[in-house]
Amino acid sequence: MRRAALLLTMSLRNVFRNRRRSLFALATIAMGTLGLFVFMGFNRGLMNQYRANTIRARWGHGQLYVEGYRDRAHARPWEHWIDRPSAVMAQLRVLPGVLDLFPRLTVSAILVVGEHTVAGQGEGIDGAAEARFFTQLNYREGGDFRDRPDGIVLGEGLGRGLGVHTGDEIRLVVQGGERPSQTATLRVTGIFHTGSQEFDSRAFRIPLGVAQRLLVTDRVESIAVALAGVEAWPAFAAAVRTTLPTLEAVPFDELDRIYYRHAVDWLDAQFAFIRGIILLVVFLGIFNVISMAVLERTREIGTLRANGDGQFRIALGHILEAVVLAVLGAAIGLTTGWMLSAGPLRDGVAMPPAPGITRSFRIQIELAIPDALQVLSLAILTAVVGCLLPVWRAVRMPIADALRHV
Amino acid sequence: MRLYEVRAVSYRYGGNGQAVSALADVDLDVDAGEFLAIAGPSGSGKTTLLNLLGLLHAPDAGTIRLDGRDASTLGERERTRLRRERIAFIFQSLNLIPVLSAYENVEYVLLSRPLSSAERRRRTLGALAAVGIADQAGRRPQRMSGGQQQRVAIARALVRDVGVILADEPTAALDHATGRAVMDLLKRLNRDRGITFIFSTHDPRILAAADRVVHLADGRISS
Repeated sequence: MRRAALLLTMSLRNVFRNRRRSLFALATIAMGTLGLFVFMGFNRGLMNQYRANTIRARWGHGQLYVEGYRDRAHARPWEHWIDRPSAVMAQLRVLPGVLDLFPRLTVSAILVVGEHTVAGQGEGIDGAAEARFFTQLNYREGGDFRDRPDGIVLGEGLGRGLGVHTGDEIRLVVQGGERPSQTATLRVTGIFHTGSQEFDSRAFRIPLGVAQRLLVTDRVESIAVALAGVEAWPAFAAAVRTTLPTLEAVPFDELDRIYYRHAVDWLDAQFAFIRGIILLVVFLGIFNVISMAVLERTREIGTLRANGDGQFRIALGHILEAVVLAVLGAAIGLTTGWMLSAGPLRDGVAMPPAPGITRSFRIQIELAIPDALQVLSLAILTAVVGCLLPVWRAVRMPIADALRHV
Repeated sequence: MRLYEVRAVSYRYGGNGQAVSALADVDLDVDAGEFLAIAGPSGSGKTTLLNLLGLLHAPDAGTIRLDGRDASTLGERERTRLRRERIAFIFQSLNLIPVLSAYENVEYVLLSRPLSSAERRRRTLGALAAVGIADQAGRRPQRMSGGQQQRVAIARALVRDVGVILADEPTAALDHATGRAVMDLLKRLNRDRGITFIFSTHDPRILAAADRVVHLADGRISS
């Protein structure tokens, strides 16, 4: 016990033995941990905002389809849509975590305004219900159609292509294939943008009743789900499998695999690379400081070994010193990170529009205890690895050489 | 009682055709309780011989017996264990740990032994008292004079109660009066406790006080 206490005391005091060098080491570790911690918070904020945007703009927390519907193309897709949607939704509403449900029907239509004709891909939706949850559908002009039975909202690019504004009339033509073509005349209530240029250039939304009439069906293609939170999805999906086995519950990150999943993977890979660079800087800082300290104490080490002290215990003392440095440096870095996020970065970081996105946004720095613990662990690990080589070299030096060292 | 038997010991520094002979065919016997000085000019091999007697390295040729046991063929781990049990050092440059107090510097070398904390404390304070600096126990070396620091180094060597202390130029860095006081202390410890002291030295005070003086020249014992 006393041995451990004296080793720890010696390590603590050694940290302040050469104050300038220790300050440099502490600054290196503090800057490294600060950078890592804030970057992790930034990354977490970015991911959470991107996820919220994805959920609140289009997909909800997930959607329900008839089992197998998404797996292949169907000659008569309407035969594979959800029958008696009201009864199904009544069963879904009592499942765990469910806040709201949004029946949807995909409509491929020709949009005609005067001599302008554009192909669009839209959805029939419950306007009043969706307005409560899909808050990321931002309107350039006008607003959603809510309960208006002849309303239509258009993506920004689609509206521009047709040259329409709020209040203008649009005729929708749905090619029926083996069924007769259907038309409907609707009035523009809003022009929206979701942030995704590609989506906004072809998307429109119309009341579900209009979509069902155009497609001559009383079914819905899918039901989007709003849950209490992302973490509620597994329990909800399990409950669907049990109570409604003919339906398939698909989470938002699978529905938006191309954008969301790939973006997350891409950001994770980028983060791992930057983390590696930061850790390398911390490693080199520690390596340099411990190398200098060990060099300076070579004769001390020789004396301890001459008096019968083992290589392991001498090495342990220096490793402890590196750990003390790492803990102190990390504490400074983490505290500074927290102060920054509560002060100058309280309102987040302003970001320009991302590729394929039309609007700028702010990323909140979301710091978290698990991130702090991970940063602290990485700092300690890096410090220990960084000191191993110089310490190992010193304790293996022939004692007589160590005693002669100047 | 015979402590060391050194027979035909040679040691060379360097290699690859650049080797320099530091000791050649050295024979030496040291009895327990001796106050022995190894004298000679710089480069004569004094420190090398002291290092070999301290088992800091093994000879290239010949044998060194300590307490009748051949120590020249032992591996690093066995040499460390034997050194811990039997040999202590005092160096010219002291090499005290500056971040530890005098007490902690002395106590540190006892930590590898299975002693109770009370026994460790008794021995540490006893060693500091034996060299006359018990009242300085809480001070760090850099706040002490050169003589006081040398006494801490002596206490550190004494505290393990190992029976033989090897001292490399222990008074070389001290002024005349301090060097004399340290010399008197070492002689008293030799006389009162029967501790064997082996010095490498130029200091005429040590040479005058020594029971025996071994002269080295060019790596060989000349007298």
